[in-house]
Amino acid sequence: MSSVIDCKHARLQIGGEPQGLSAEVAQHIATCAACSKFRDETLAMEGRLKSALELPLHHFRESPSRAAPRRFALAASIVLALLAGGGVWLLRPQPVLATELVEHVRHEPDSWGSREPVPPEVLAAVLAKAGVRYDPRLPVTYASPCPFRGHIVPHLVVQTERGPVTVMLLSHIKTDVETQGTTFQEGEYHGIVLPAGSGSIAVLAPKGREFDGALKDLLPTVP
Amino acid sequence: MNPRPRGTTATSAFARLLETLRPDLVRFAFWLARDRAVAEDVVQETLIRAWKSREEIKDPAATRPWLLTIVRREHARLYERKRLPTVDLADVEAQGDPALASDGDAGLDDLRRAILQLPDEYREPLVMQVLGGLTTSEIAAQLGLTQPAVLTRLFRARNKLREIYGLAPAEDVE
Repeated sequence: MSSVIDCKHARLQIGGEPQGLSAEVAQHIATCAACSKFRDETLAMEGRLKSALELPLHHFRESPSRAAPRRFALAASIVLALLAGGGVWLLRPQPVLATELVEHVRHEPDSWGSREPVPPEVLAAVLAKAGVRYDPRLPVTYASPCPFRGHIVPHLVVQTERGPVTVMLLSHIKTDVETQGTTFQEGEYHGIVLPAGSGSIAVLAPKGREFDGALKDLLPTVP
Repeated sequence: MNPRPRGTTATSAFARLLETLRPDLVRFAFWLARDRAVAEDVVQETLIRAWKSREEIKDPAATRPWLLTIVRREHARLYERKRLPTVDLADVEAQGDPALASDGDAGLDDLRRAILQLPDEYREPLVMQVLGGLTTSEIAAQLGLTQPAVLTRLFRARNKLREIYGLAPAEDVE
């Protein structure tokens, strides 16, 4: 039986899909030395092509091309004051911010439902997207980069012994350090906003779910 | 004892799969964008979207092409949204981008630069096929092309790369 395709079309197939040649092309190659040589050359190049595309990621990470993320950190004095205070902080509500935070959480009701830890890669991606660094010491079961007051901020849900609490890293919202901690009650939620780094961090939970005991694990590490 | 939540095993497996596939997603994004920072942004967005939509994946074997599809879409969206400037290849080469370094294998360096210089219409299906492991019909579906059109683009991409090896290019096809 003679071959049903010519050299031109055999080479189109070889060059287009060298690893998956049809029976027709294989038959042509068996009878055509030039196309057989073309196939061998293409397959030899194919191994190098795969190696070339598989970029070495250790080189990839050299000389990072972006600014370092902002690190969230609390002044040691603030942490001590908060922990020593047993959860009784200055009550200086910021009603607008509190309302916006609660509204935001209400719009993501699914955030409370997950109990499975977010993979480290996903959490890192959410933090990187917001340009912040945060190292929670409790399992994070929800992580989303959310628009908030014109910026992308990490919206996290962290599992504490008393249940899930929401943590929002507000790198672009400064709070008055003198107030140390601003607690609020808003609708069905209560929470606190604390200065952290050059911005602030908000912790919210449904009313009745205390998170005082978990704050030391929720707050950023003191450098 | 608390019962293990339903779906925990599957979710953990999906998390591990994301971790395993991430390096190839970064590579794939780089070859599309030709820029490390953009590639990192695209993969971050891809991982977040994939995690949110993980319930859509029923067959683990379908995860890889699904993620590659998200990478392609996110890459396109990023350019649409931010109107990023196109990458000047001369700049990429002049800066000696470490992403292209090959630990002393000059031939591989040359091949990477040659791939970077391929027009988008040839480079994209080539990367999808060789790195992504997609078939020509899958590539055709993703790019909105016919299968013969994809075959022709792949043929032309490899034909241009043959010159790197001092091989005679094949006669072009119409």
